[in-house]
Amino acid sequence: MGESDPILEMRGVTKTFPGVVANDDISFSVNRGEIHGLLGENGAGKSTLMKVLYGLYSADDGEILLNGEPLALESPQDAIEAGIGMVHQHFKLIPRLSVVENVILGYREPAEAVAEVGGSGPLGSLVGGLASRFSFGTEGPAKRVRALAGEYGLDIDPTAKVWELDIGQQQRVEILKALYRDVDLLILDEPTAVLTPNEARQMFQTLRRLVDQGLTIIFITHKLSEVTEITDRVTVLRDGVRVDTVETDAYSQSELAELMVGREVLFSVAKDAVPVGEEVLAVQGLRARSDRNVEAVTGIDLTVRAGEIVGVAGVSGNGQRELAECLAGVRDPTAGHIAVNGTNLARAGPRAFVDQGVSYVPEDRHRYGCATSLNLTRNAISKEYRDETFGRRGLLDYRVADEYAETLVEEYDVRGVTDVAEITAGELSGGNLQKLILARELHRDPDLLVANQPTRGVDVGAIEFLRQAIIEQRSEGTGVLFFSEDLDEIFDVADRVLVMYEGEIVHETTPDEADRERIGLEMTGGDAATATGGGSP
Amino acid sequence: MNLDVDLRAREDVPAWLAYGTPIFTVVAALLVGGVALVALGVDPLAAYEHMFVNTATTEFGIVQTLIRSVPLVLAGLAVYVPLKAGLWNIGAQGQLYMGAVAGTWIGVNVGLPLPVLIPLLLVGAGVLGAVWGGIPGYLRAKYGVNEIIVTLMMSFVGVQLTSYLVRGPMRGGEGNFPVSALLPSEATLPTIFGSLHAGIFVAALGAIAIYLLFDRLRLGYEITYVGANPDAAEQSGMNTFRIYVFVLALGGVLAGLAGAIEIAGVQGRLRPDFSPGYGFTAIPIALLGRNGVPQVTLAGVFFALLEVGGSSMEIAFNVPAALIDVIQALIILFLITAEFFKRYRVSIEIQRGQRAGQAAEEGA
Repeated sequence: MGESDPILEMRGVTKTFPGVVANDDISFSVNRGEIHGLLGENGAGKSTLMKVLYGLYSADDGEILLNGEPLALESPQDAIEAGIGMVHQHFKLIPRLSVVENVILGYREPAEAVAEVGGSGPLGSLVGGLASRFSFGTEGPAKRVRALAGEYGLDIDPTAKVWELDIGQQQRVEILKALYRDVDLLILDEPTAVLTPNEARQMFQTLRRLVDQGLTIIFITHKLSEVTEITDRVTVLRDGVRVDTVETDAYSQSELAELMVGREVLFSVAKDAVPVGEEVLAVQGLRARSDRNVEAVTGIDLTVRAGEIVGVAGVSGNGQRELAECLAGVRDPTAGHIAVNGTNLARAGPRAFVDQGVSYVPEDRHRYGCATSLNLTRNAISKEYRDETFGRRGLLDYRVADEYAETLVEEYDVRGVTDVAEITAGELSGGNLQKLILARELHRDPDLLVANQPTRGVDVGAIEFLRQAIIEQRSEGTGVLFFSEDLDEIFDVADRVLVMYEGEIVHETTPDEADRERIGLEMTGGDAATATGGGSP
Repeated sequence: MNLDVDLRAREDVPAWLAYGTPIFTVVAALLVGGVALVALGVDPLAAYEHMFVNTATTEFGIVQTLIRSVPLVLAGLAVYVPLKAGLWNIGAQGQLYMGAVAGTWIGVNVGLPLPVLIPLLLVGAGVLGAVWGGIPGYLRAKYGVNEIIVTLMMSFVGVQLTSYLVRGPMRGGEGNFPVSALLPSEATLPTIFGSLHAGIFVAALGAIAIYLLFDRLRLGYEITYVGANPDAAEQSGMNTFRIYVFVLALGGVLAGLAGAIEIAGVQGRLRPDFSPGYGFTAIPIALLGRNGVPQVTLAGVFFALLEVGGSSMEIAFNVPAALIDVIQALIILFLITAEFFKRYRVSIEIQRGQRAGQAAEEGA
């Protein structure tokens, strides 16, 4: 790499937390004008490394060189002044404020009118100083934001309120915030985690334009497809150590996966054919409204039998969440029947579903799947604590519960756990938390499992494990309804495929007979005309 | 000299800080309180010695402290239990008054022998307290009405209602004073040691019961889980509606017991101002002891010591007892400060000598 021109070098960066070495002597460099991927499983140390670079954490050891100059970072403020910007996974925006107001947050922007006030003499400069100190105007910044947006092709209205924007647009506001501060190096922390595939595609176009304009981008991800699609080079981290930095073109996805996980990853999981049994779930004419009181499920009929996995494909936001919540009793349907093992449970409440042997993996594991501030034991027993093994007549023996939690942790390979009574669910990484939740839901040997996007936001190693666990449970005779946006996943896991679009099941097939293109079209409500339109670059 | 203050978000809270907070808080409050003592011309060490050592080593001091502890511990638990479910019971004061009203009415109007009358009086107090706490609980659970406001407002209603009752329907005794009739001896809690009455057993049993609730019972687990994440609790099949009503009703029971015991054990009759803010002191007690029931109990006893020692200091050193209120308020302030220190690490660098000299030169 004789001709390479590193904008950033990190040398021997080490960061330890009590009990964990998050970054162990990591060195790598980023070339000017490239998109540099930072790939690793959850907990591999990517975010920690970037927080060190952004001044949020201070490293225990090592140095950072920006443009060949050593950099001492005490806070994000220092990082921004040095020209480093970061777009966090969870946006730091104020919904009530406009785009411009969010962009200039923390800056003193005097009103345009007072820029001319002042003039000469001590009194003039005093007036000018006061005016610029105490006046506030967004006209100037709005112009600059509009100019920046135009320059980088970020389609956004600077006067719109942030709450009116969709997620993809909000992300662009975050990028604008960094651009407004004149950064040369932009760090994106798992930027696609919150986006739909379509929004992700748009964002990739934006990133390419930013690079064309001379920016350098560090792209944190655990998704291999994104690495191959967008990055020029990629640095792979594993367990806090840098494994390698490679040219992306020279490596296949499975080779990258092997670097990342440290062993060969099976993308498709082996499945034995299992005879299907009785009908465990029968849904008829189900209708439900979303939180915004819009009808989100508009008349669904479906059945799941014991020992089969029914995959529901679809772009998220087409009623999957509402359907899944109805089938867990969390949401009351407005019409229709939900029969579990022949008993109608519509509007019966979550308890009835739990008691009938329905397990549920919600899509938002922090919000609905666990209590992040409680320890693993209390989270592990939240479905089974009424069982007599934990105590009769309203008693609960935490020693038995601790043992139960330890069993789950061991059997489902939940990592980073020293003491189930000490560690809280919030301290687990995404993949490990999801393993714990799935363990809780499967260990009770349910008749029906409703899993909404169980592998979303989870690293490759854990995805493999989660899919395998669900397939094994299905072979034990559990009926599974598996929601996913990822068609590959649906094809790997499901025995039968349903496609959901705008609150209805629009297509049914099996993985063997399926026509992928047709499914892709059905998912997006497309017909032949839009398909050709969308296909051209 | 150059002072450099650096604030950093903590990545995790060290155990010594999480568990040491109540102690640091109290020590800091006493230190600042000491400044006030010095300003009043009193030697703070002597005053504190009198306040704590004298109170905690004399028979009279211990008995008085234990008597004070009874309503404070019970009221502290009345705030603590809903807090575990994520709800704020700001109205323990009103629940306490309603318990006192029910207890007094039963004690005065029902003629039964002591072993039956005392339990009946306590049950009555618990029931009315439960109603007073349960109504905000129900409104919160059913309609999402903010329980802080409703418990506080119902507290005022309870206190004013008591004030009306002792001036009207429940007025008794001789003269024109706003007090109820004196409780008969069958309705008076027997004393067990000096003036220490049997209510101490009720407080102890209450604390043990609440401890067991959270340590041994499914219900306690459900309360904790609902408090940590009501959405996830609902999804697991827990009935958050039932939990919300239950915790505030149970808080009402505990506060109601405190009220009735104070009448039947100490006051002997219902007065409109029989409680010097036990229900409000209960809030810092619950916060100071939020790590568990034993801590709440200790905090209750400590506040009792503070109040008893404070009045004795008032007499011995001629300082206003209001200073005790100041120390209590300081404890709350430092508790809030401690929350800040739990979240941020503060490092203060003082640069002296050469670098400071350089800075001075640059300044010049």
